[in-house]
Amino acid sequence: MLAKTIQGEFINLRPLQGSDAERTYNWRHSARAKYLNQGAASVEQQAAWIASRPVTEYNFIIELKSGHAVGMVSLTGIDTINQHGESGRFLIGDEDAVKGTPAAVEAMKLIYELAFDQLGLIRICGTVAADNHLMIKWQKYLGMKEEGRLRNHLYLDGQFQDALFLGLLVDEYRKVTLPRMNFLVAAGRVKNELKPTAQGN
Amino acid sequence: MLNKDAVHAIIFQALANVNDERGPDEQLDISPATILFGTDAVLDSLSLVSVIVDVEAAVSEVSGRDVVLTDDRAMSQEVSPFSDVGSLTSYILLLLSEPV
Repeated sequence: MLAKTIQGEFINLRPLQGSDAERTYNWRHSARAKYLNQGAASVEQQAAWIASRPVTEYNFIIELKSGHAVGMVSLTGIDTINQHGESGRFLIGDEDAVKGTPAAVEAMKLIYELAFDQLGLIRICGTVAADNHLMIKWQKYLGMKEEGRLRNHLYLDGQFQDALFLGLLVDEYRKVTLPRMNFLVAAGRVKNELKPTAQGN
Repeated sequence: MLNKDAVHAIIFQALANVNDERGPDEQLDISPATILFGTDAVLDSLSLVSVIVDVEAAVSEVSGRDVVLTDDRAMSQEVSPFSDVGSLTSYILLLLSEPV
């Protein structure tokens, strides 16, 4: 597992650690996590889960440049023979802190850079709850293709629901995903006011 | 040709679609002055993408021409098209005013 923080422009990805147990437990039990698998039943169990992550997984806390933790994301299921991996455990836990900033998109951009550019994977995949419309729309806009529907794959909030299986190939990432991610990151730089001209007007 | 009110309606519907996915305590205030992205914005990048996708699809369907909101031209505008509902409306009307 990567032991160092990955630096971005608006956010950093730092490795998940035991001291994140309470924060991530609270996130996993918030309304925003309703489309994720049920998390640990206690902070202690969450700490044990964090401690038991295998070295083959990359689990990160998303931090603003100020150091404020706003979410989590992971790259798991890395298969170096078949050169694929899974992105997931993606959750913005502090939505208010990321309004107006491209924190979520830059976090995923850094995960893709790790997967495709550093680890040399050629494919990223993952599942999304079928009712998680915003996430499905987001992932598809950013290049993911729907590869299948897993019927009654998830038991969430007391009932079964389907999951969509999404996948992204490295060529699609470079052609579609990266330009759109770069646009969204750039949108976060733009002020809501007239840009100064070269003459300073 | 779409006019200002029609484009406003499309953007409002896109924001209402975001509200459909949010809890009662997380509803966006929707108005021409709603700040979309940047300082004091109401959207995170997840919701911004939803608005972009829905607005592009609706404008393209109603106008009969492809409209792309996320290219270099959009980023080169003096005021970001995603500053607020008004600036996005103005940018869409600009695109639609040009020859195909």
